[in-house]
Amino acid sequence: MNYRYVTRIIGLLLVFETAMIAPSLIVSLLNRGSDTMPILWAMVTSLTFGLLMAAVKPKDKRLGVKEGFLIVAFGWVAACIIGALPFYWSGSVPTFVDAFFETVSGFTTTGATVLPDIEIMPRGILFWRSFTHWLGGMGILVLTLAVMPALGVGAIQLFRAETPGPVADKISPKMKDTAVILYVAYMGITVLETALLMLGGVSLYEALVHTFGTVGTGGFSTRNLSVGGLGGAYVEWVIGIFMMLSGINFALYYDLYKGRFKKVLLNEELRYYIGIMLLASTLIFLNLVFTKHTGAYDAIRHAYFHTSSIMTTTGFTTIDYDAWPTFSRLILIMLMFIGASAGSTGGAIKVVRVVVIFKMIKREFFKVLHPRAVVPVTINGRALRPDIVSGIMSFSFLYLLMFLFGSLFLTLEGIDLTSASSAVAATLGNVGPGLGLLGPKGNYSFFNPASKLMLSFMMLAGRLELFTVFVVLSPSFWGRSKKGAQMPQALDNGLE
Amino acid sequence: MKILIVGIGKLGYQLASAFSQKGNDVIAMDKDPEALQRVEEHLDVLPMLNNGFEIDALKEAHIKELDLTISVTDDDETNILVAFLAKRLGSKKVIARVRNPEYDKQASYLKAEMQIDRIVNPDLATANEIARYLTGALPFHTEIFEASKVLVADVHAGNMPDIVGRLIMELGIPRNMLVVAIVRNGQVIIPHGKTQIEPSDTLYMIGTSDSIESFYKAHCQNRIGNVIKSVTILGGGRIGYYLAVNLLSKRMEVKIIESDKPRCQYLAERLGNALIIHGDGTDINLLEDEGIFNSDALVSLTGLDEENLLISLLAKQHGMDRVIAKASRSSYIPIIEKLGVEMAVNPAMITAAEIMRFTYEGNIRSLALLAGGKAELTELVIEEGAYILKDSLAELNLPKGIIVGCIMRADQVIIPDGSTRIKAGDRAVVFTVSSDQQMVTKYFHPVRR
Repeated sequence: MNYRYVTRIIGLLLVFETAMIAPSLIVSLLNRGSDTMPILWAMVTSLTFGLLMAAVKPKDKRLGVKEGFLIVAFGWVAACIIGALPFYWSGSVPTFVDAFFETVSGFTTTGATVLPDIEIMPRGILFWRSFTHWLGGMGILVLTLAVMPALGVGAIQLFRAETPGPVADKISPKMKDTAVILYVAYMGITVLETALLMLGGVSLYEALVHTFGTVGTGGFSTRNLSVGGLGGAYVEWVIGIFMMLSGINFALYYDLYKGRFKKVLLNEELRYYIGIMLLASTLIFLNLVFTKHTGAYDAIRHAYFHTSSIMTTTGFTTIDYDAWPTFSRLILIMLMFIGASAGSTGGAIKVVRVVVIFKMIKREFFKVLHPRAVVPVTINGRALRPDIVSGIMSFSFLYLLMFLFGSLFLTLEGIDLTSASSAVAATLGNVGPGLGLLGPKGNYSFFNPASKLMLSFMMLAGRLELFTVFVVLSPSFWGRSKKGAQMPQALDNGLE
Repeated sequence: MKILIVGIGKLGYQLASAFSQKGNDVIAMDKDPEALQRVEEHLDVLPMLNNGFEIDALKEAHIKELDLTISVTDDDETNILVAFLAKRLGSKKVIARVRNPEYDKQASYLKAEMQIDRIVNPDLATANEIARYLTGALPFHTEIFEASKVLVADVHAGNMPDIVGRLIMELGIPRNMLVVAIVRNGQVIIPHGKTQIEPSDTLYMIGTSDSIESFYKAHCQNRIGNVIKSVTILGGGRIGYYLAVNLLSKRMEVKIIESDKPRCQYLAERLGNALIIHGDGTDINLLEDEGIFNSDALVSLTGLDEENLLISLLAKQHGMDRVIAKASRSSYIPIIEKLGVEMAVNPAMITAAEIMRFTYEGNIRSLALLAGGKAELTELVIEEGAYILKDSLAELNLPKGIIVGCIMRADQVIIPDGSTRIKAGDRAVVFTVSSDQQMVTKYFHPVRR
């Protein structure tokens, strides 16, 4: 294990985070808020630790699979600890665990909050809170890759460990170019949404905060009523549509830019993603209309907005969906598990995995009738490698296991089943709000510190797609491996 | 440059690695997912699971934007077809690997009619490399630039017993010569005056041919004028065949030991002047009976690296000192050379080096891959505006892994020292360690505004 290089890269990450806190400092200064000094001190702390760690000179620049996982797992935890400082020092939250929870919730684009009253918070803090969504959405390390000088071969390991999806798609031969392309698309969507929100009469500050929440599929707002307090159907439709756009694989935007329309249109995951979203909104719409919950137009509006919000794992709300009929609420819970597309900023199991699982089930049925049939599982007309298929199966099973054990843990708090299970589903899937006590009207502040740490773990595990976190926690990761995840000799370019 | 490599075997991997380290956009295409997984995990390239001779696959790789397509699958016919298709579909340059000796004869026809820019034959290239080593008067492989005026040589310190244990500065190195690198236990070391030479070291030297020769003669006691007259080749495969043809043309005595009877027949029909022996190369009795250990050099080219290594060690023990072994796995090379085998040849690396030499990139030309691909020699034309022109070499503080080995100014050859200043229009031969490869652009290319 190349600890020196791992330390150095995490150090660089913290230096980078310092620069990323700067915009919040500016917001704070412009508003003459009480949060200027805490933010400044957080930057000083981040820079100090970052520079100290970055000063470690690596003996060689080899990054193996293990180093990649280690950097991503510890890099995220380090970023969250530093990111929690402004919350803690400004006194916005009572304990450091709360601050940590809030930051993890931000970076993992969950949007679960422990703040009972958001509107009294200083603006710099709220800006930082939402900006963590933007940073975490596409990945802090991918961003670091995009701006830092080439990390070379090791970059792939980082990209893989941080990017959601069963297979990490490189768009361009070079890792750095891929990272740049992804961020250009990301910024493009950000700018567009901010502009459209401002056209709807939203102030620049609030437009930015909500855009960060949308494109990162996070869900932190500046209002206690979330988007519902921002005003107007126009704003809701803009955010609703942009949530949907952010849940699409960003590689497709590059294809679109390159004029490969056919490839985009034929993308199987995109079709299922849109299909599921339309189906779910229609079912909720019909349910709301038939139970005479609201009028037809409001039913369409709310059904679409919340389907889009929950399925992309954003977690913005306009009304209290917890008051909906149980049928609609259960559909939302199901969407929390399906999640957005692979390669997007959204979380949860991901549409492509769900599609593969259904195809597997279909294949099993078929094989009962035709035992000797050879049927590959295909996506976009291509057979998936058996190891990827089995990876998808074990991922999904592990996901459900975590959900079950997490819920079991929360029931020790003495809360009802709906609240406990939806809390885990909403954090593991990086959604944010759940049902019951954690619905649009509630928040996570009442949990005891142990539960908050457990939920923070769920959020990190969910964002980093389970394996990155579990691999680092496994004993064999730290033991002397027999096979060794080292590079072959041919790549041994060390200069002594 | 944008480069597509079809077929990711040993050679394909070597090429993908070398090209991507130099900062090129590399697409690696193979129909075997496992081969791709290896590049995906270790190299910064774009893996593509596709069959290279499907037109759709080539189109998916955006063939029109490509500068170079290299087809190095296992199959000659596939390579020719892929190269042909790639050229027709818009790839600027195409290279195909062709190994079959029969096809090799029609290489020029293929090049002209199918517009394949270059056909590489790894077996032939390897054989030529071995032949060059065996026929050269000096026991090192030489890379000759500028019509033999400058050469690069690698010498085992073990061959020059009186320099072992001394510091570089004490060696009395002639003015027109530099020791650019030392390979010690498989690692590249950039030496300075106080570097001490160890017996297992390999020294890479660059300089004018007379100065290197005189240096070598001064230190190497026992082998001056020791010309090789007889060579035994173990394994009569393609490399063995090409090598025998080459050596026979230089009037050397050639013995080939091959275990496959029909192959022996084939060789005997085509190589009239060589002695073909049917037998097992690992059978020591056979080797002794045939007086193998009395020949001047032994080249072990069987299909198994391990066998080649063991036979070479055996020959060493019987007092032979000119022993060459083929190692298909590049990771074996340092070990084999460490054990005292004079030269370990790796066909994939030799071919990769040949392909790299063919690819000019702007004003850079790759001359040779050294030390198992860990270092490279390149030739550059220095244009106006390059950073390197700003000051003398000592003042510029070049990275440790970049060494200007020699400069050619008009007809003059200059071996630079710290006070040398490069001028625009000079051609420089630069030695780079692969980790510093990307820095070459920064120092030697004109600043773009």
